[in-house]
Amino acid sequence: MATQKEAEIPPGLALFSNYALDTDYFDEMFQLDGRPRDAYRKLLQSILELQATELTQRQQAADLTFLNRGITFTVYGEESTIERIFPYDILPRIISAQEWNTIERGLIQRIHAINLFLRDVYHEGRILQEQVVPFDLIYSCKNYQREMRGLHVANDVYTTIVGTDLVRLPDGEFAVLEDNLRVPSGVSYMLANREVMTQVFPGMFGGYGIRSIGHYGQALLERLQALTPKGRDATVVLLTPGIFNSAYFEHTFLARMMGIELVEGADLLIRDGFVYMRTTGGLQRVDVIYRRVDEEFIDPLHFRTDSVLGIPGLFNAYRAGNVTLANAMGTGIADDKAVYAFVPEMIRFYLGEDPILQNVETYLCGRESERKYVLENLDKLVVKAVGESGGYGMLIGPFSTKGEREKFRQQIQADPRNYIAQPTLRLSRAPCYIDGNVVSRHVDLRPFILYGGSPDETVIVPGGLTRVALREGSLVVNSSQGGGSKDTWVLEHAELQEREN
Amino acid sequence: MNYFTIHHHTRYRYESAVSESTMEVRMQPRTDRQQRCLNFQLEISPHAQILTTGDCVQNMIHYFDIPRNHAELVLRAHSLVMVQEGPVLPDALDETEWDALLETAAAGRMWDWLAPSHYARPTSLLAEFSEEVGFSREQDPLTAILQLNESIHNAFEYTPLSTAVDSPIDIALENRRGVCQDYTHVMIALLRQRGIPARYISGYVFQEPEKKQQQDLSSASHAWVEAYLPAVGWIGLDPTNSLRVEDKHVRVAIGRDYEDVPPTRGIYKGEAKSELTVGVHISETEDEEIPTDLLDNGHWTPREHVEELSSEVKLNNDEQQQQQQQQ
Repeated sequence: MATQKEAEIPPGLALFSNYALDTDYFDEMFQLDGRPRDAYRKLLQSILELQATELTQRQQAADLTFLNRGITFTVYGEESTIERIFPYDILPRIISAQEWNTIERGLIQRIHAINLFLRDVYHEGRILQEQVVPFDLIYSCKNYQREMRGLHVANDVYTTIVGTDLVRLPDGEFAVLEDNLRVPSGVSYMLANREVMTQVFPGMFGGYGIRSIGHYGQALLERLQALTPKGRDATVVLLTPGIFNSAYFEHTFLARMMGIELVEGADLLIRDGFVYMRTTGGLQRVDVIYRRVDEEFIDPLHFRTDSVLGIPGLFNAYRAGNVTLANAMGTGIADDKAVYAFVPEMIRFYLGEDPILQNVETYLCGRESERKYVLENLDKLVVKAVGESGGYGMLIGPFSTKGEREKFRQQIQADPRNYIAQPTLRLSRAPCYIDGNVVSRHVDLRPFILYGGSPDETVIVPGGLTRVALREGSLVVNSSQGGGSKDTWVLEHAELQEREN
Repeated sequence: MNYFTIHHHTRYRYESAVSESTMEVRMQPRTDRQQRCLNFQLEISPHAQILTTGDCVQNMIHYFDIPRNHAELVLRAHSLVMVQEGPVLPDALDETEWDALLETAAAGRMWDWLAPSHYARPTSLLAEFSEEVGFSREQDPLTAILQLNESIHNAFEYTPLSTAVDSPIDIALENRRGVCQDYTHVMIALLRQRGIPARYISGYVFQEPEKKQQQDLSSASHAWVEAYLPAVGWIGLDPTNSLRVEDKHVRVAIGRDYEDVPPTRGIYKGEAKSELTVGVHISETEDEEIPTDLLDNGHWTPREHVEELSSEVKLNNDEQQQQQQQQ
């Protein structure tokens, strides 16, 4: 087994001298004895052959490519708003065929159950009547849309696009941290990472059978077109809040990729109950809107009356079935962080199956006993506001000050329903190339699920966006909080690899 | 059984021409257990194609858009409605009805009508008022509801234009004056606090000419309360008039409060201020005047032309802006 020996971290090798490896966290690349995991063996060899100078050159080339392509995101600060290049690490994160198989089956099962739940809650409400999910939790949810009751949603697809966040715990199991069911973003970074990686590091792919992700745009367009009887003849548009939105780059990227129009609210209008787009050749009927505008802003006649991003009267056109919105309205009840706690129950209730992917243990502050525990352990737990995303509205107990904990204590007591807590998660670590060294940093994984109404009609491009907490010791991977990303490889079937070997 | 003919006219005048008006209208009387809408017509000027849809509690919504420039928007709604008397209520209910109410709440089906809503929500002034009117679980819920209806009627002075349709209840509570929306919102908030499901009804009330002189309430849309008791179902209460709703009220829309069911809600493009004029006329119609085919649910155009409106009420600016926002 000479190759294996060569692939071990050579003791004292400068490149890895700061690499942390211990029992507290699962390491994506190495086993505890310092031997690389099978999937990473070739990568390690490449790193050792390339050495630091070349790695640094490639890293710089990658940064330049991101900059030239304008792949940026916006950070909303308290006082100013800054445009930044999305930080990128050149070492890929690798997922074996077997690991991916579990993730894929688990996500399809989960998203199917969530869609059945959304349909149920807005129609018969069986799961509430049978008290599997408490009705007050749903009805008190800010994202519960009363007007969605009894409304038929095309193909019963509530969430065409989902980005579910997975973390890998010390035992190596993947668990679900949250489901983003409203307007998930990040897929453009997943695609851009692969593109840049292929350009600046073609040699790194050598010998690896990596599954392609290039079909994402086509798969998304097909899912959107399938929401109307017109199919391929349907006019699909992407509705963006505009250039000031943090994900505007992604909106332009996806629209271009699918060959559809990128529109703002002012580009659309309602005539006699149908939606039209203003074009130089006159008005053109719109069948499907891939909306990247939050639902409260989408129709000032119905929701936020001060919104200038939306289209007045859109909801009535939607209600009449004259236009399809993806995702549907009202999906936010299922990614409320308190409702998240019930997803395993939903899977059992609707599918009669055990969840393939586990949830993270979650305490609901709305329940007295759990609230008591949370308030007594604020320094150990992560507290989150149920409706927030992007790492906002969060307390990370072990890294918090006394003042911050006190602030959260008051907020929880004032509005317990609005908060949940979870143990501080020990996110797995993956190798990153930072300042001339290979070091380990915490990562998560956001795969993108394109749901089509049944498990068979659901597509997940292999992999997803791996987000990295680039600061040493940090567990926060959100790009708004100093996180970056890396290319994510899902390997072809193991048998295939062995044959190639 | 009564038949009523209702004319509801609404006119927006804009300082200068506006465009891209989008509006939805809730003016068609409901057809449900106690009443039947036999005919409804809505005319819009300038002309627009009118479409219909229903909301989540089956209120009928008419909606339309007017892209071109216009300096005036007129809506004429005509309805013919048959209203039946409700079931006869017992004088009082058993005190165990409170337990039945608790069970109803625990089952979750009445959530909409028990949770605070936009206008009908607890405030410190409401808490004071609640103390003042008193409340005891020793009497049965029906008696308590009827007493509350009367207490609210007595505590406020009906004063047209003292508040806008969208005023928070605190304004009425502080001045002890208000219009039907205020009476209704206060009563709904108190009922919900006491564990009794309550909802807002917008509609019209017919008043005999002699009563009309005292309080001219039939000149505009009206609002009242429905409260739910498991033993008897929904019962209508009109705190503005200290009445139990029988067969003189025409129900148009059900909501948690006014916010859910304004008669018109619209948006237009343009900087112009608008001036709103509303007139409602409701009259009794003898059943022999109604063609039989209409009673079979056919279509019928009223023979009489639109009567001259009985009165016109000008609403203040706040209300116009609430009802129709500039974009």
